[in-house]
Amino acid sequence: MSTFLDPTVLSRISNLELLARTVVEGFINGLHRAPHLGSSTDFAEHRAYMPGDDTRRIDWRLYARSDRHFVKEYEADTNMNFTVILDVSPSMRYGASEEDGRLSKLQYGCYLAACLAYFSNLQRDRVGLATIDTGVVDYVPPSARHLQHILHALDRIEMSARDAAAAPGRAALLQPMHKLADVLRRRSLIAVISDFYEDADAIMAALSQLRGRGNDLIVFHVLDPREIDFSFSDASNFIDMETGEKMPVIPDYLRKQYRELVREHTTTLARRIGGTRADYSLFDTSKPLDQALFAYLAARQRIKRVR
Amino acid sequence: MSFLAPAFLAGLAAIAVPVLIHLINRERKVVVQFPSLMFLQRIPYRSVRRQKLRHLLLLALRCLAILLFAAAFARPFFAHRAAAAGSSGARSVVILLDRSASMEFGDRWTTARAAAKKIVAGLGPGDRGTLVLFAGDASVASPPMAAAPQLDASIDAAHVSSERTSFAPALKLASQILSASTLPRREVVLISDFQKTGWASHNEVTLPPGTTITPVDVSGAASPDVAVALVTTDRDSAGDRDRITVAARLVNTGASAAPRRATLAIGGRDVQTRQITVPARAAVQVAFAPIVVPSGATKGAVRITPDSLVSDDVLDFTIAPDAAVPVLIVDPASPRPNQSLYISRALAIGDRPAFRVTEKPASAVTPRDIDAQALVILNEVALPGGAVGVRLRELIAAGGGVVIVPGGQNADAWPAEWRALLPASVGPVIDRTADARGTLSSVDYANPIFEIFNVPHGGDFSTARFDRYRTLKPVAAGRVVARFDDGAPALVERDIGSGKLVVWASSIDTYWSNLPLQPVFLPFVHQLGKSVGRYADPRLWFTAGDVLDLSRHGELTAEFASARNADSTSALVLESPSGQRERLSADGADHITTLREQGFYELRGPNTPVGSGRPIAVNVDPAELDLAHVDPRDIVTAVEAASARMPAGDGANAATPEDRERRQSVWWYLLLAALLLLATETMLSNRLSRATS
Repeated sequence: MSTFLDPTVLSRISNLELLARTVVEGFINGLHRAPHLGSSTDFAEHRAYMPGDDTRRIDWRLYARSDRHFVKEYEADTNMNFTVILDVSPSMRYGASEEDGRLSKLQYGCYLAACLAYFSNLQRDRVGLATIDTGVVDYVPPSARHLQHILHALDRIEMSARDAAAAPGRAALLQPMHKLADVLRRRSLIAVISDFYEDADAIMAALSQLRGRGNDLIVFHVLDPREIDFSFSDASNFIDMETGEKMPVIPDYLRKQYRELVREHTTTLARRIGGTRADYSLFDTSKPLDQALFAYLAARQRIKRVR
Repeated sequence: MSFLAPAFLAGLAAIAVPVLIHLINRERKVVVQFPSLMFLQRIPYRSVRRQKLRHLLLLALRCLAILLFAAAFARPFFAHRAAAAGSSGARSVVILLDRSASMEFGDRWTTARAAAKKIVAGLGPGDRGTLVLFAGDASVASPPMAAAPQLDASIDAAHVSSERTSFAPALKLASQILSASTLPRREVVLISDFQKTGWASHNEVTLPPGTTITPVDVSGAASPDVAVALVTTDRDSAGDRDRITVAARLVNTGASAAPRRATLAIGGRDVQTRQITVPARAAVQVAFAPIVVPSGATKGAVRITPDSLVSDDVLDFTIAPDAAVPVLIVDPASPRPNQSLYISRALAIGDRPAFRVTEKPASAVTPRDIDAQALVILNEVALPGGAVGVRLRELIAAGGGVVIVPGGQNADAWPAEWRALLPASVGPVIDRTADARGTLSSVDYANPIFEIFNVPHGGDFSTARFDRYRTLKPVAAGRVVARFDDGAPALVERDIGSGKLVVWASSIDTYWSNLPLQPVFLPFVHQLGKSVGRYADPRLWFTAGDVLDLSRHGELTAEFASARNADSTSALVLESPSGQRERLSADGADHITTLREQGFYELRGPNTPVGSGRPIAVNVDPAELDLAHVDPRDIVTAVEAASARMPAGDGANAATPEDRERRQSVWWYLLLAALLLLATETMLSNRLSRATS
C-alpha cells in the first residue's frame, strides 16, 4: 500500500487529481474502520429563538406542540474552510534530481497540497489555495467547487529552479501572511507548507497573523533530506537560491555544526508552534504523503472536538 | 650563493605537483545551489578560514620540502664567506688616509687624523685595521691588520706629502689587503678632501664582494688660496752675457681679490720683489726684471706671502747655463769638397740646443777627442779600431750617439766588434740615376727623429731625390726608421746600452742626393742630433712624484762625467730636501728614482762637496693646486659598480667550489630541514584528517 504513497512513485503520475485520488483513496481504504467519518448534517439540538435568528430555521412542528419558538441546531458546520498556503519561493525548488527521480520540495509540497485539497473536498469542506513567496503569488478562495481550480493552480507552478542571479531576495512569510489574514475572513483550517528558512521569531510572527484571526493551523515543514543531514562531500561554492549569495564551503568541516543548527531550528519551531496549539510536522521529501494526511486528520478531529 | 650541481635545481619543477593537486582540488570546487545559507552563515566564518589556511599551510610545507630537497641535491655553497656571515662578525677595516699636498690646506690634516683615530677607536676587540697613507701612490703605514694602539701610533707619525692625490692606487691596495683578510666583514674608510683631480672616471677599481666603503670628507668649506702656478724663463743675450727673464703666474681661487708680495730669489738671496693684487678667481702674470744668468746651475724660487696652503706659495726652479751639445764630425783623410759643409752648417744654426761642432779627419782623432762628446758622426770613414774604437763604443754605451754614413766605404773591412753592433749590415750601392731617382717614401713618425714632421705642412721629404744609397739589411735589434721608395732602408737605428747607433744609407752632402738642399734638411739634422745625441730640454723643475731617470737627463750628470771617468764604479748621490741620501748611477741599473719631496734635491758626484752639487727643483704637482671637489658618492658608486661587474671567485676566494661546498656542507642542513618539514606536514595532515572524519 505504502508503495503507492511513495512520493517518488507518485511523481510518475502527471495528473494531480489522479495523484491525489490515489493517495487519498488508498489512505481511506487503509482507514476504513476509522470512526471519524460522520455525517456533517446530523441534528444536534433545539434552542430558544432569539431575535435576529433566521426565521426559516424555526422548528414549526415543535411550535405547534409547545407554542414556543425553537430553532433547530445541527451537528453544525462540519463543512469548514480549508486553505492550503504553499510557499513557492526559490528555496522550495531545491532537491529535484532527474537521475534518482527525487522530488523538489516544491513538487512535494504541490502533491501534498493536492492531496490535502482532494481529501478535504471529499469531506465537503471548502478548499482554497494560496501560493506565496515574497508576496501572495496566486490565491484561490475557499469553495466546495474550487478543487479543480486548485489543482490547476498547482499545476501551473513553475517547478524548475530559477537562476540564482535572478533570485528575488529572501522570502519573508510575514508580508504574505498578513495579506492572507485579511483575505481569509472566515475561520479556516489552514495548512502552511514551507521550508521555513527564517528565524523562529519571524516565523512565529508570521504565523500569529493567521492564528490571531482564529484560524487553525497545520504547519508542514518540508525539507530535502540533504538539508537535514548535509550529506555533501566535496568542497564547493554554495549559492543561496533566494539571495544569490555565494559562500565557499568545505562540507566535512561544517556538517556537524550545520546539523546541530538545523535540529535546533526544527525543535524550536516544533516547540513554539506546538505552544500555540497549532500542529507542526517536519517532512522530508522522501516521506510518504499519507503521513501528511494523518497529520491533517488528527488536526481536523481535534478541531471538531474542541468545538 | 652558488650551486655545485645546479642541474638538480630542475627538481624544483616538482613543486608544480602539489600546486597542481591543490589547483585540481580547487577546480573540483563546484557550484552548489542551496536553498539558504542561513545556517551556514551562522557558523563562525573563522573556522572555515582556518581550515583553508591549514590547507594552504600544508601546501606551503610540501612545496618548501620539495624546494629544500632540490636545493640540497644541487649542493649549494656560499661563494664568499663575507656574504654568508652577513652583517655580524669581526671586521677588517682599511683606513685610507689622504696625505696629498692639498691636505695641508686649513685644518684638513688635523680633521683627517682625528677622523682616522675615531675609526680606530670604534674598532672592536676582534676587529683588525690597516692604515694606508696615500697621495700619488699608496703604502701601508701600519703593520697589516694591526690593533688599535699600533694604528694610533701610525696615525700620529703620518705627515702630509708633496704629491698629488690619486685614489686608484689606494683603493687597489685596500682591495689586496681585504682579499687576504679572513675576517667576515670588510670595510674601507676613505678619509680625504676628495680632490677632483685625484679621481679619473676611467679608474677601474674593484673591491672584494661585501666590502663597504665609507667616505669621510674633510674638505670643509672652501677657503681662498693664492698659488704660484707656473714660472717661465726667457733667455736672451745682451752683449756677451746671457740674461734671463723670470715670470710667474699667480692663481687666486678665492672669491675676493688677494694682495700678495711676490719675491724672486736666486741662489738663496731675494733679488726682486713685486707687490701685486690677484683678482678674485683669476690669474695674473708677474714679470721680474731680467737678471744675468749665473754660472753653473743655480737655485731659483718665486715666493708669495704664505696663506692657508703653504706648499703652493713657493715655486722652486733651477737656472742653468744652456749647455751646447758637443758634436764631432769625423771626415775622411781626403774628403770631397763640402763633404761635411752642409751638416756642420746646419748644426751650427740654432740655440735650443746649440750644437758645438768639431770637425776632424779620421786619422787625427784620439780617444780624448771622443770624451765629452754627445754625438759623433762618421762621415764616410772606416769605423775606427783600436783605442778610438773602444772609446767610441764606450760613449755609445754611456748614452752617447754615433751616426754612421758609410758612403762608398768597404764595410767588409770594418772591425768585427763594430759589425756586431751595427743596426744593419751594409751592402752594395744601389744606383737610381737610371730611373726616376729614389725618394723617401716611408717614414716612422713615431720615432723622435721624424716626430716633429707628423703635422700638416710639417716638412716634405718627397722633394728630396737620392741617386745612390747603400743596401742596408737590418739586424734583429735594428729598427728601420725611414725607407726609400723601393723599400730599401734609408735610416736604421739600434739602441746599445743607453746610447744609440744610427746608419744613414745615402750621403749627407749633395754627392748622392739633393736632401741637403731641401728645406727639411735643417730640422732633420737637428732632430737627428737631438735624438741620437740624447739631448733633453733642461727642466726648470720636476713635480713631486715624478720619476727621475738620470740616463735621460744628461744635463744633470754632465758636470760629473769627468769624475765618473776617473772612477767609473763610483756612484752619484742624490740628497733629498729632508736630507735623505740615495746612491744612483747615470748609466747603471739604479739610475731611476722617484722625487717625492718638495724643495731642492742635490745631485753630487763622488768628489763633490756637500752644497756644491747640481740642484734639482721639485714642486707640488700643479694639478694638486686645483681644489675642485668630487662628490665622494661618485667614487663609492663607481667602485661598487666595478666590484659588482668583477667575476666572483678570484683572489682570496681561489678555493675551488668543491672545497667550499665540502667545507660548508649546506646541503646537509637543507636535507634535515626538508625531513623536519615533511614530518610536520604528516602530523598536520593527520590531525586535519582526524578533524574531518
